[in-house]
Amino acid sequence: MRQLIVVIALSVLLGGSAIQAQTTIEWWQFWTDPSIKPTMSAMVDEFERQNPGIQVNVTDLTWANGHEKIVLAFASGSAPDVVELGSDWIAQLADAGKLYDLTPHADSLRQKYQGWSMATYQDKVWAQPWILGTRVLYFNRDLIRRAGLDSDFIPLSWNELRGAAEKIQALDPDIYGWGSNTAEKHRLYKKFMPFFWSARGRMFSEDGRYCVVSSQQAVKALEYYKHLHDSCGYVANQRGIEDAFLDGKIGFILSGDWLLKRIELEKRSIDFGTSTMPGPGLTFGTGRKVAAGFRSETYPGKSFMGGEYLAISSASEHPDAALKLISFITSDENQIKFCKANRSANPSSRTAQTDEYFQNNPHLRTFVMQLHLSTHPPVDPDWVYMETELEQAVEKVLFENAPPGETLRQLQKTITELRKK
Amino acid sequence: MKSFRTPSLILTSPWSLTFILFWVFPVTYSLYISFTDYRLLTGEYDWIGLANYRELLSDPAFLAALKNTFIFVGGTIPFTTVFALVMALLVNRQFRGRAFFRSAFFLPSITSMVVVALIFTNLYARGGYIATLANLAGVSIPIHGFLYDNTTALYSIMAMDVWMSVGYYMLIFLAGLKAIPDELYEAAEINGASPMKTFWSITLPLLQPVALFVIVINSIKSFQVFVEIFVMTKGKFDTATSVFFIYEEGLTTAFRIGYASAAAYVLFIIIALFSIAQFVLLRKRSAAW
Repeated sequence: MRQLIVVIALSVLLGGSAIQAQTTIEWWQFWTDPSIKPTMSAMVDEFERQNPGIQVNVTDLTWANGHEKIVLAFASGSAPDVVELGSDWIAQLADAGKLYDLTPHADSLRQKYQGWSMATYQDKVWAQPWILGTRVLYFNRDLIRRAGLDSDFIPLSWNELRGAAEKIQALDPDIYGWGSNTAEKHRLYKKFMPFFWSARGRMFSEDGRYCVVSSQQAVKALEYYKHLHDSCGYVANQRGIEDAFLDGKIGFILSGDWLLKRIELEKRSIDFGTSTMPGPGLTFGTGRKVAAGFRSETYPGKSFMGGEYLAISSASEHPDAALKLISFITSDENQIKFCKANRSANPSSRTAQTDEYFQNNPHLRTFVMQLHLSTHPPVDPDWVYMETELEQAVEKVLFENAPPGETLRQLQKTITELRKK
Repeated sequence: MKSFRTPSLILTSPWSLTFILFWVFPVTYSLYISFTDYRLLTGEYDWIGLANYRELLSDPAFLAALKNTFIFVGGTIPFTTVFALVMALLVNRQFRGRAFFRSAFFLPSITSMVVVALIFTNLYARGGYIATLANLAGVSIPIHGFLYDNTTALYSIMAMDVWMSVGYYMLIFLAGLKAIPDELYEAAEINGASPMKTFWSITLPLLQPVALFVIVINSIKSFQVFVEIFVMTKGKFDTATSVFFIYEEGLTTAFRIGYASAAAYVLFIIIALFSIAQFVLLRKRSAAW
């Protein structure tokens, strides 16, 4: 009898464990830097501890070829359950039917997170915003002082920016006013578009039917950008521009929060400041002090917004477990943990954005403010083609002296043709 | 005979199966999909016949890439071949430190292309070593650096490629020089031939097969130039070449595998025709010698 009880007890135990069999989900992500890796591992461990039936296998991707790997994985039917996506890639994968529809999940979280619009394609949400990103103006205070401007000078308008950059340029043949990106794929347009959007340029008409990229405002923005490039531009790739800025050779550059991290980790002694984008319209005298909370219709200017998103493959066999992981990773607490470890400035969680970590640091505060004044490219599966055409147009103007108006008109024609296909 | 053939097939099967699986199949399959509009993400495709090939012939980006490839091939091969031959002749002579120079000349060709390309990117930059030297010599240089100017970017990469390749081909020429019998030089010396006459009448004709080999493999390699373009300019500033175009179309922005396959086959045909022409021309010339 006793033996029978033991056998039954063992059967129940074994049966129970069989029911609670491990669900393994694959997660592909891009955060491999030693400064963030331990935090990522700790988050995954904590998730597994809280969800004993779920095991997470993490695969690291690199920015050099991560996009290609993701596309090939989806194409070959070997995509992971959860994948980190750049905001530009979501529409392309959603259009091909490769992503799991997250609309029901998103509906209850619309107010809680920023950045849903970049993940929304054909009225459905395909990914959860995680860490967002924008570009702000960095400036070298030392060069500003040497150029004869007030030490607390911040350019509010395009005229002020240009005036200050030209004064800095005149200091020395090896000193430059403005960091101007070379023809660098995926980078150049992100530097031009803040001026384009600040001038109220638009890629498409409000109903989305017509390409209007050659508007008067767009031409004005490109002419201004070309002037900065020609009169005081230090031309290099993004890394080269940041190197020169940190070496004290450039007055103003546009960059992201990774530069703050670099300055901190490399213990750079540069006297720098950050500000939101100057607007196109204001023409205050140079050296004007910025009043706290100053706002106007044309200040600050717009900037570029992108971000990292978490999506689920439509072929995933464990979408519920995958969604649990996404919810855990993007929780307020974990976003703050992540941003602190990675020195990131832009969590997608609005609650996390109000954390004192961001509010007590003037540079991080600038990023949070700019994020709310930023615009993103159209969410369109063909954006990758449009981006290429847009960059080529800007390159022609900057490096081949093509006329901005005519070049943008040609771009408009090309994009219109492309959309017809 | 039969008993011999069966085990040989079995013994060579690891190689032949790998060859069929990873070479014959992809090459044949890519020929097939070059006639389709294969969409990588969905895996869907329709047979479109020669449409990809027709589009290529009117695609300004492809034609520009093809032009750049021909400039690259035509601009590097003569220099690489001549420099390699001259260096082989120099290090073939007896002198102190000969082993050092042989190694030094050969060293760049065994260094990683990515590493070399990154070093040269810095050398070519504004304020870089080459720009500084050019400034000191009073030579005008592109304002933003050699790689950020349409008129100099491709030629700068070509110059680096010549520097990097020349050591390898020098070694091949050196092997060719060693194979020429000493008796021929001794006979020429007895007959009072000048060193120049000896070079034109003995060395060069007998190096013809080696030169043919060097030119053909260098042409094939140069038609496939990719890494240096990818690392140094990402195809910008009028430096995109055919393989870079194939990479861009097939594996980055557009993922148009059918179109990229068609471009790859156009390049394959060009390389094949070029190699055949080189064989025929150089063989005729060799026969004339």
